[in-house]
Amino acid sequence: MKLNYLFPNKYKKIGWLILIPSAIIGLTTLIFEFEPNSLDFNVAAIFIEELFGDKHFFGIVNNNILNEILGVLILLSSLLVAFSKEESEDEYISKIRLESLVWAVYFNYAILLISFVLIFDLAFLWVMIFNMFTILLFFIIRFNWQISKLKKIVHYEE
Amino acid sequence: MKNSIKVERAKKNITQADLATLAKVSRQTINAMELGKYVPSTVLSLRLAQIFEVEVSQIFTLEDSDWD
Repeated sequence: MKLNYLFPNKYKKIGWLILIPSAIIGLTTLIFEFEPNSLDFNVAAIFIEELFGDKHFFGIVNNNILNEILGVLILLSSLLVAFSKEESEDEYISKIRLESLVWAVYFNYAILLISFVLIFDLAFLWVMIFNMFTILLFFIIRFNWQISKLKKIVHYEE
Repeated sequence: MKNSIKVERAKKNITQADLATLAKVSRQTINAMELGKYVPSTVLSLRLAQIFEVEVSQIFTLEDSDWD
């Protein structure tokens, strides 16, 4: 069966090599609010809301682009890790992939629902930041856990 | 659904790994099918039948629970 919505297997390793360092650096800069002045730039924006000001579309804002760079790296590398083919991607693996994806969506929204009800105001900003990445993260954890469980079972059988 | 993959494999005297290579799937898939954890697609069923040189219906049999 030809699957054309998955990346070739080798991209999984590349994905991990980018994801792990950028996730570590991303978390660290987020926690310590590290924003080096050298990365302050005037950048184009499609929607702007000034502090205590009006909202408007299209313009230029001054922004520290470190979090944008790290965010893009984490998202793209997570996609590579999540959606690169396994070494032996066959129909059974595809089924596990689908199950893990559905599970990840349920789990992610369960956590988001709980957060909605129990976390408020500015603290909710943290939920929104993490929620951008968690659906892929939960999928990656669940899928790889299922695959490794599968490989262990086969070792016992033979 | 029941299947006799293990029996057919024994007749041909091939391992799960051999069958996996012949059917172009992973060993885990063969294992999961033998344990009844995975029902293969029509294409894979036909491939298995061709490898074992039998009819598909000789490998796979419906059970009552398949009608639920």
